[in-house]
Amino acid sequence: MMASQRRKRGESRILRYLILGTWALFCIVPVLWFLSIGFRPRTEIITPSPIYWPTFSLDAWWLLWGDWPMGHYLRNSVLAIIGSVLIDLVLAIPAAYSLARYTYRGRDDIGFYILSTRMMAPAIVAIPIFFLFRNMGLLDTVWALMLVYAAVNLSLVTWIIRSYMIDIPKELEDAARTDGASDLRILWEIIIPAVLPGIITAAVIAMIFAINEFLFTLLIASTRNAYTMSVALANFTGGSDGVIYNAIALAAFIAFVPVFIVVVLIQKHLSRGLTMGAVKG
Amino acid sequence: MARIELSGIQKRWGSFWGVRDVDLDIADQEFMVFLGPSGCGKTTTMRMIAGLEEPSEGEIRMDGHVMNDVDARDRDVAMVFQGYALYPNMSVYENIRFPLRMRNVMKSDHDRRVREAAKLVELSDYLDRKPHALSGGQRQRAALARAIVRKPQVFLMDEPLSNLDAKLRQTMRVQIKHIQRQLKITTIYVTHDQIEAMTLADRIVIMDKGMIQQIGTPDEIYNDPANTFVAGFIGAPPMNLIDGHLEGGTFSAPGVTVPDLAPHHDGPVILGIRPEDCHVAETDAHLTGQVYGVEPTGDMTYLSVLAGEKLIEVKAERSYRKPLDVPEQVIFDRERLYLFNAQTRERLR
Repeated sequence: MMASQRRKRGESRILRYLILGTWALFCIVPVLWFLSIGFRPRTEIITPSPIYWPTFSLDAWWLLWGDWPMGHYLRNSVLAIIGSVLIDLVLAIPAAYSLARYTYRGRDDIGFYILSTRMMAPAIVAIPIFFLFRNMGLLDTVWALMLVYAAVNLSLVTWIIRSYMIDIPKELEDAARTDGASDLRILWEIIIPAVLPGIITAAVIAMIFAINEFLFTLLIASTRNAYTMSVALANFTGGSDGVIYNAIALAAFIAFVPVFIVVVLIQKHLSRGLTMGAVKG
Repeated sequence: MARIELSGIQKRWGSFWGVRDVDLDIADQEFMVFLGPSGCGKTTTMRMIAGLEEPSEGEIRMDGHVMNDVDARDRDVAMVFQGYALYPNMSVYENIRFPLRMRNVMKSDHDRRVREAAKLVELSDYLDRKPHALSGGQRQRAALARAIVRKPQVFLMDEPLSNLDAKLRQTMRVQIKHIQRQLKITTIYVTHDQIEAMTLADRIVIMDKGMIQQIGTPDEIYNDPANTFVAGFIGAPPMNLIDGHLEGGTFSAPGVTVPDLAPHHDGPVILGIRPEDCHVAETDAHLTGQVYGVEPTGDMTYLSVLAGEKLIEVKAERSYRKPLDVPEQVIFDRERLYLFNAQTRERLR
């Protein structure tokens, strides 16, 4: 009896690993494929016959950092993303606190309105945003990207942080209030430290969305001046030499690595943040 | 140190009354306990004193000053919460220091005062720990230290011991009373535990459905209950309340006959008698029934006697043993009988 149970448990574990392993392979192979292309000479990639022992080459690497302004695009991406996340946090934390803790007329409607901005298709506001930034003279600048990313992600960041704030016992604030703390001190000294995992999660999710943002970036960044990695990659086909697949693959891989590292580091919080934002409140 | 007066305090949420017509005068340095079942309005009343809730009507005064419009952080009160409410990101030291920082107490005094408060609650060795690394009792003591560190005018304690086990609760009870006497700070303590109320209080306020049922010393509340609610709420097991009829000064109910009571209360009444004032008797019994339950506890035996459809609790001798369903007779201590109006449930005197 015991032996058959043990065998069954063992089988089910093997099956589980088999399924997970297949899925992991399915996800990781394209990435490894990219990496392998990125570090091989161009001629080797486009050859029709199979190659069993690939040659290692840094041609694409030097091309990216030399001829192609990869550093500039990365800098644009980092500036726009960090700026937008900072704007989001500065606006979302007080908004989330207000939605989570104060009672006032129309609070739920305001909360829903904030969330509803996420529900519409981005294309609907693309044209107005284009004209808005043109009139403000911000087209083709990183500043505009910062503002757009911040606007697009603000609702999500607010709702994730709000869902964490709702979980904080009201007693903590009452205690701080009777201890003599003002509302701002309570927010700064009690609430923010208590919801720090939520804030980090929201920031990372906003960051990932901003990294992947394409439509508005394409619209706003009309020249290389404001290109970020996502648009630059899409426009990166090579030039007079034809399509340089190895450089494209390497650039894509470089764009992927920071996101991958961040996601691995905070994956535990990430799943909580996403589900809480989705189902709570 | 402060005297607290509540006059005509009401708290409504829409059509729901949380607290109704509360008038109360708490003397300086008094230990006042608000006692009542869940939802009776005791915590709401305390939160209004703290400034965490606004009264719908009425006035709260501290030392004669009206406090209604004074923000919680500007009232000189310190509160201890049921769930401790320690700041999780701060060490015990920082938790205790927090009120000093918020109230701009001179920085040079902080360390001395934090250590004094920690010593008072025997927590000096745990100052570096975070709240999650403390036991329930230690957390409660940390919360207590945070309340006493700035020597407020008023202590408010909202069921501070309810999350502790029975033994620890008893130890903490003694400690709280000791500290209150030592610091001489007016204290309001909310609980639903009558033992806590009886042992801690100078006076008890018994509340039910948002209204004060009785205010008095523990002895007054126990010996002179104002109505059936108070009579039934205080005492373990609670007072026996027997519905019956008084005619010509004789009370009668199924299985129960008590002669020579005040005849001017003739009519439907409720007779109250505490279990410790009932005695098993051979003759001249006031109650005749069958043994329904016998529960020896070591120092005494709880006896339940079924009279008609009513179970009467009796605190019998520790050696009392009888099989179930045998006839039993009980005599009441006539000096300790209470009569209540059957309609209003108020005490008849």
